[in-house]
Amino acid sequence: MGGLFSRLLSRLWGSKEVRILILGLDGAGKTTILYRFQIGEVVTTIPTVGFNVETVTYKNIKFQVWDLGGQTSIRPYWRCYYANTDAIIYVVDSADRDRVSTSKEELMAMLEEEELRDAALLVLANKQDQEGAMSHTEVSDALGLTMLKNRTWTIYKCSAKTGEGLTDSLDWLVNVVSGGAK
Amino acid sequence: MAARAQKFFSTTKKGENFELKAELNSEYKEKRKEAVKKVIANMTIGKDVSSLFADVVKNMQTEDLELKKLVYLYLINYARTQPELVILAVNTFVKDTDDVNPLIRALAIRTMGLLRVERIVDYLLEPLKKGLRDEDPYVRKTAALCVAKLFDLSPAIAMDNGLVAIVQEMLSDRNPMVIANAVAALAEISGASVKKDVFVVNNTILTKLLAAINECTEWGQICILNSLATYRPNDAREAREIVERVMPRLQHANASVVMNAVKVLMVYLNYVNDEDTTKQIIRKLAPPLVTLLSSEPELQYVALRNINLILQKRPDVLNQEMRVFFTKYNDPPYVKYEKLEVIIKLASDKNVDQVLSELKEYANEVDVDFVRKSVRAIGRCAVKIDSAAEKCINVLLDLIKTKVNYVVQEAIIVIKDIFRKYPQRYEGIIPALCENLDTLDEPEAKASLIWIIGEYADRIENADELLEHFLEGFKDENALVQLQLVSAAVKLFLKKPGSAQEIVQRVLNMATQQNDNPDIRDRAYIYWRLLSSNPQAAKAVVLAEKPPIEADTATVSESLLDELIQNIATLASVYHKSPSLLGGTAVDVSAVRGETTLEMDAEEPEVDARSVAQQVNAAVGGGIENLLDLDFGGPITTATPTSGGAGLTPQKSNIDDLLGLMDSGPGPSTPPYGTPTASGGFGGFNFGSSLGGGSGPSFSFPKTSLLTSADAQGLELQGTFSRKNGQPYLELTFGNRSGAPMSDFAIQFNVNSFGVAPAAALQVPSPLGPGATVDVSLPLNTSGGVQRMEPVNLLQIAVKNNVGVYYFSISIPIHVLFGNDGGAGAFGSRWGDFALSSQQFTIQGLGGVQDLAGKLRRNGVVVAQQPNPTTFQVTAQTINGEFVVAELNISSGSGVAVTAKAKNADLIPLFQQSLEGILRS
Repeated sequence: MGGLFSRLLSRLWGSKEVRILILGLDGAGKTTILYRFQIGEVVTTIPTVGFNVETVTYKNIKFQVWDLGGQTSIRPYWRCYYANTDAIIYVVDSADRDRVSTSKEELMAMLEEEELRDAALLVLANKQDQEGAMSHTEVSDALGLTMLKNRTWTIYKCSAKTGEGLTDSLDWLVNVVSGGAK
Repeated sequence: MAARAQKFFSTTKKGENFELKAELNSEYKEKRKEAVKKVIANMTIGKDVSSLFADVVKNMQTEDLELKKLVYLYLINYARTQPELVILAVNTFVKDTDDVNPLIRALAIRTMGLLRVERIVDYLLEPLKKGLRDEDPYVRKTAALCVAKLFDLSPAIAMDNGLVAIVQEMLSDRNPMVIANAVAALAEISGASVKKDVFVVNNTILTKLLAAINECTEWGQICILNSLATYRPNDAREAREIVERVMPRLQHANASVVMNAVKVLMVYLNYVNDEDTTKQIIRKLAPPLVTLLSSEPELQYVALRNINLILQKRPDVLNQEMRVFFTKYNDPPYVKYEKLEVIIKLASDKNVDQVLSELKEYANEVDVDFVRKSVRAIGRCAVKIDSAAEKCINVLLDLIKTKVNYVVQEAIIVIKDIFRKYPQRYEGIIPALCENLDTLDEPEAKASLIWIIGEYADRIENADELLEHFLEGFKDENALVQLQLVSAAVKLFLKKPGSAQEIVQRVLNMATQQNDNPDIRDRAYIYWRLLSSNPQAAKAVVLAEKPPIEADTATVSESLLDELIQNIATLASVYHKSPSLLGGTAVDVSAVRGETTLEMDAEEPEVDARSVAQQVNAAVGGGIENLLDLDFGGPITTATPTSGGAGLTPQKSNIDDLLGLMDSGPGPSTPPYGTPTASGGFGGFNFGSSLGGGSGPSFSFPKTSLLTSADAQGLELQGTFSRKNGQPYLELTFGNRSGAPMSDFAIQFNVNSFGVAPAAALQVPSPLGPGATVDVSLPLNTSGGVQRMEPVNLLQIAVKNNVGVYYFSISIPIHVLFGNDGGAGAFGSRWGDFALSSQQFTIQGLGGVQDLAGKLRRNGVVVAQQPNPTTFQVTAQTINGEFVVAELNISSGSGVAVTAKAKNADLIPLFQQSLEGILRS
């Protein structure tokens, strides 16, 4: 009985969390972006074997942000995290032209998943601070984003290092999540 | 049909796990935690929730310590079923080992150690290393144990990454708990490692361990005590120090700590070599052991099994405490049986009355097994304690009078043992035994009684009738009884040939023709043939004196006992089985022990050779003269312990030491000697030259001056070695150049390469008047202490008289040590042995060689073969078994070319030296 009551309470004033996945190839900058969101600082990271999860409160919305390891060995387990996902942040290393096609394949495979049918997609063309980085339109073309149908999506250029573009992208996410995409 | 059947397998219900999965992924924190709890609940009741692995692991990164612990618990359980998914947890572990809270750091490290999934080991090495160097002792101690777990999973990884080395460093940690866990981890690793060299306690570590033992928990204390038990102290003083530090542990409330402390003390008793400390330790051991007997029965049992071992090693530990081992009415049977064993071990002629009255009580109890064991215990007391045998017999007779079937039977069985032990003493009770003939129904009891009847057939008038009684049912008897019947019938026949002929024939007939058991048939056939061919021989065989039986109180062999003492308070000591048989990793002592004894032997004299000598002295009981008497009167036996024991000290001080004793003697020693005239005559008679006979004179080098009157206060000494009939002799000429008579001559040899020592006392007429000279021939043997000298044939000798002690050294020519049998038969195989050292030399300037073979033979060198007239193949063998083989080629000139081979290369130059002398003689 008490259990039921508390559950009702939590639903009413809820601590409902918006669930966001940060995905992308290894070394794209996912973990750095996560902590940039959370504490606003650049932290030194090691390759993530497994996952990080942090709660980020932005504009009164609680985001539960999952940062999954991007190494080939871990990619197969991304699917374990798809359930109940509201939005996906897909991070691309704009300076890594060689692997952008791999990145595209992974993205497309992921978007095929039934569980992610309703998730919004935010692509971040990261590492804009680096010389020779692709512009966000280039990235967009390379990933074939324009071909996407039935998907709320956008692409931002950003740099986790300098912080450029991150606030804008978060604002977009807040909009999408609260604007009733779901 | 098929379609319809399919319907049964498709279900709309997704099952509980499906629901749990949804809840685990809920967007509400509380709901997720609730779900994890449900999962754990299912896990504990055995439902398979491994399919939820990934979803549970998602909840691992949380601030909520309770939730984290639950997830960790789940991980430990299911990591091995989902090895590929465990990788998802790695990052969280890495993060948690960086947490500010030491509890979380330690928790993460502990959990990592428990996962046992090889594919993630690499990722976890760095966090583990960090944990080992953590600032918080709790994290460090957890990490230490984790290394042991990792080693179990993958020894190579643990060693190669230096983790084990870090744990070794942790033995010097400032926190006692960390030290204790490092000890535990290293002991485990060492036990599992191939070389067992991971954990070696040395002096510095020892100090740390002893300091830590007072401050750590029970677990830590047990680990440290365990490692102390494997340590070998350098000397008795160190052993005493350790014992003093361990002693207070005997008062600990935890039984395991107490038992482990007992173990350490039992082991160290071997190293403490003064009697007071030994007594003190033994006195201290008793109270804690007695205290253990007031704990729960299970603990009592363990304690009793260990006490059993302790008593076998040190029978005097509990000799004042007999009463506590008396059984209580409510003791469980297994405790009673063990107590009974201990009682028998403690029984002595002082307390035997008490023991017997107690055992008699037990024999009247209701538990049949216990009663039997008690009756048997009475018999064992009789066998153990001579003086109590009669009392035991009386008690047994009393018990037989009770007519309780199993008591009677058991009593008869033990009485047989008593008869074996004390033959011809208690036959008077045989009639009492025979009265119970009809009640016996157990094979062992029957066999015992039949044995008694057969053995004492001549004293029992109606022995034939009694046997007859058993014979009626011969076919139905147990093999044991049948065997005894056959033997008893034969004994009866041999003792009373007339009346028993019919019986023996019938028995043998039945045993050979109507019996299927080959043992019985064979025995019967053997008896039959013996009887028919040679009754005297049969008598010699059947009625032969039987070897006496011993008390069976020692249940394990000596070596196993030592091993078990090292493993007191482990399963091995409870089962009385070697730990290797139990498949555990208990302390393996065999290696340690072997080394120990070796090293102790070698080191002891170095510590205090003098005190050893003094102990010998004290043991002899009669002061210095006695010691010398022994030394000089019987050099074969007593010279050995002192000189052999002092083996490793430098020669000079050694000989000083030995003879220093002689010096300090309050009065002159009195070695046995003959009358001066006879002895003088004997000494003057030159064996070397006149003992012609079969062997002819052997070659001796001329006597050299050993002591001059200037060095030796007027004593002049010349000497050489000779060989007579294959025995070496030392030929000495004593001259008194002083103004006063000399007396009390004695001689002693230092240890030497061949163990040469006097075979008899020195026979110098005493007193030796001023100006007198006497020749003495001292027989030698090789029973002395052996130690390699430089040069090899150097002998250091001390001669003493009433004026002083004089030292000199002399080289012994090898040929005097040759035995008569040179081993000619073995020449071929020895000559062909490639492993021998070989050397060639030429002996020049011989004026022709006559009677070479004879000369050689007289000096112990045997010609094995002579392939041609100028080539001699010879062999010689010293009396302690060293041999030389050689080929001598007499060239046309006057030289002899020699090729000599020996296992011991040192012998060849000596052989050359002797050979030259022999050929020139």
